[in-house]
Amino acid sequence: MTTQELIEKAGLIALSRFEPREVNGVFVSDMLSDVMAGAKSGNLWVTVQTHKSIVPAANLVDVSAVIITSGKKVPQETVDLASKHGIAILSTDLPAFELIGKLYGLGVATK
Amino acid sequence: MAGCEHLWEMTNVRFGFIVFERCAHCASVRTYFSSQDTWDQYREGACTWGITENVQSLMFDLQCTRCGRLESFSELMGLLACTECMQECEVVRLQEELRADRTWIVVAFGHLPEAKTRPIPEQKLAILSDHFNQRRDTARSKVKVVSMHLIKDISVCTGEFVHDVGMLSLEPVVARKYLL
Repeated sequence: MTTQELIEKAGLIALSRFEPREVNGVFVSDMLSDVMAGAKSGNLWVTVQTHKSIVPAANLVDVSAVIITSGKKVPQETVDLASKHGIAILSTDLPAFELIGKLYGLGVATK
Repeated sequence: MAGCEHLWEMTNVRFGFIVFERCAHCASVRTYFSSQDTWDQYREGACTWGITENVQSLMFDLQCTRCGRLESFSELMGLLACTECMQECEVVRLQEELRADRTWIVVAFGHLPEAKTRPIPEQKLAILSDHFNQRRDTARSKVKVVSMHLIKDISVCTGEFVHDVGMLSLEPVVARKYLL
């Protein structure tokens, strides 16, 4: 499944500019150090963090997209930085638990 | 092992805190990794050290999954993403040069004050680069880890460390504190 397909099927909102790519599993964490150690290339990173430092963290481990849950407002600074690096920042009003259930139902499972 | 095309994986991962201390008298700065969230103030010789920042982070080593070679990165304080705050900085120049190749510059900081005179060796920076590039499809983008010594003036650099700090959602977003 590509990021574009995921956006449509999961009802996500794309906040930044990015090129579509294949999604490969899910990583859930609100700690950058955790992401640096454990996230894999292509993972969807699910978090409530919106600080601009999520962009370099996402870039470092090459996640396919960062999904901000619970309707958290993402500062424009974060969106602009993500667009500059082609990192997908997606948004949902769903809390993380419900989003992950949805992702699981869509077959986006960690390989 | 000679001739091995190393495949680097993180090992000995320890989560903890990068502690930033400053002397109240001479304003010297030092950093170190601690497994505990410490806010002690203490005297050491002529210095009175106080904590200026405690950030959650991790320490790790890299090990080749093919030959078992282990590289320690205990001297690594953090990785910083350039925010292009100083146009005359070598890091910014390098980022501009490599942007078309979709290569992102990340700056490796060693612990202070040791790293001021003993930078992390280029060989280790190359291993770090290899590790992060082995975790991604390099046809899409690449990472290059460079030394903090390329930064024009660390005391005014506003690059973003990949550290867990200043990220509480109800706090207003503020610029990172200057390191020195």
